[in-house]
Amino acid sequence: MTGSISIEGALSDRWSSVGVEPGRTESTIWRERDQVKFDLHRRDLPPIDRAVGLTSGVGVVLTVLGDLDMAGAPTLRQAVVAEVTGGTRLLVLDLTAVDFLDSAGLGAVVGGLRRLRAHDGDLMVVCPEPRIRRVFESCDLDRVFVLYPDVGSVIAAVIAAGERASV
Amino acid sequence: MTSEIIPAIELAIPPHPEYLQLVRALVGAAANSSGARSPLEPGQVADLRLVVSEAATNAVEAQGAVGARDRIVVRCRVADDHVLVEVIDHGPGFDLDAVPDLPDVETPERLRHEFGLGVALMERLADEADVESGPDGTTVRLVIRST
Repeated sequence: MTGSISIEGALSDRWSSVGVEPGRTESTIWRERDQVKFDLHRRDLPPIDRAVGLTSGVGVVLTVLGDLDMAGAPTLRQAVVAEVTGGTRLLVLDLTAVDFLDSAGLGAVVGGLRRLRAHDGDLMVVCPEPRIRRVFESCDLDRVFVLYPDVGSVIAAVIAAGERASV
Repeated sequence: MTSEIIPAIELAIPPHPEYLQLVRALVGAAANSSGARSPLEPGQVADLRLVVSEAATNAVEAQGAVGARDRIVVRCRVADDHVLVEVIDHGPGFDLDAVPDLPDVETPERLRHEFGLGVALMERLADEADVESGPDGTTVRLVIRST
């Protein structure tokens, strides 16, 4: 016995872009509409005095909410490009509120790291949820990224690295 | 002997990424819907959602590459000791064995591999992951068994 559910293409054109705005302290880049869950929020990191190779105002936290998959990944890629172009050199990707991550989403995270490093910056990942960490681990990417429990731990790690470098 | 808890349920989606969430919702709900009789632990349902999402993503990409607008069919069966999901597309098909192994994760070349992790995930997390490709498309068959 086979049941069949077929759904027409009414789900398209549901996302509205309000643009990526480096320099603003906080902005919503994409907003959730209808059932597709994906949001990206941006805020500046507080200035970190002793951060290696960083001047003030170049640290940014991007918080991802919802499902980071093939549908969400392009938005994250565009946001990373906009940040690097706008001068961001320390990008913290906060995945605490991510409900789902797959390899398409991971590809955008890896691409982000590559782009930041190409500009002498760094991308650091906050990821406390075991289910999301498991996706990194299943791809061996926990050996590439330190998965921090919260943004405060990232800041502490950056300060510690700065102190080591200045000794 | 295996007995069926939920007979085959099918979802036919247009080949667009926006529908992947619906695919995951279907398989997650089907795997959980039999309550205490569900064959899978919550962590296994999360793995099922992940591997099915990977297969459906590949299907969307494959059809997008050739401009095939056919629907992608996701068929899910829940038995008392496993869940079987088939993802059927009309793309050009691929050979699982021909997908190159990824370079070691700590080499710089590895970071160039932003794509192609999906097959590795399916093979690692599903108990069975088979691909049948032909001129009419590809069927990926994924099984997760109760522990």
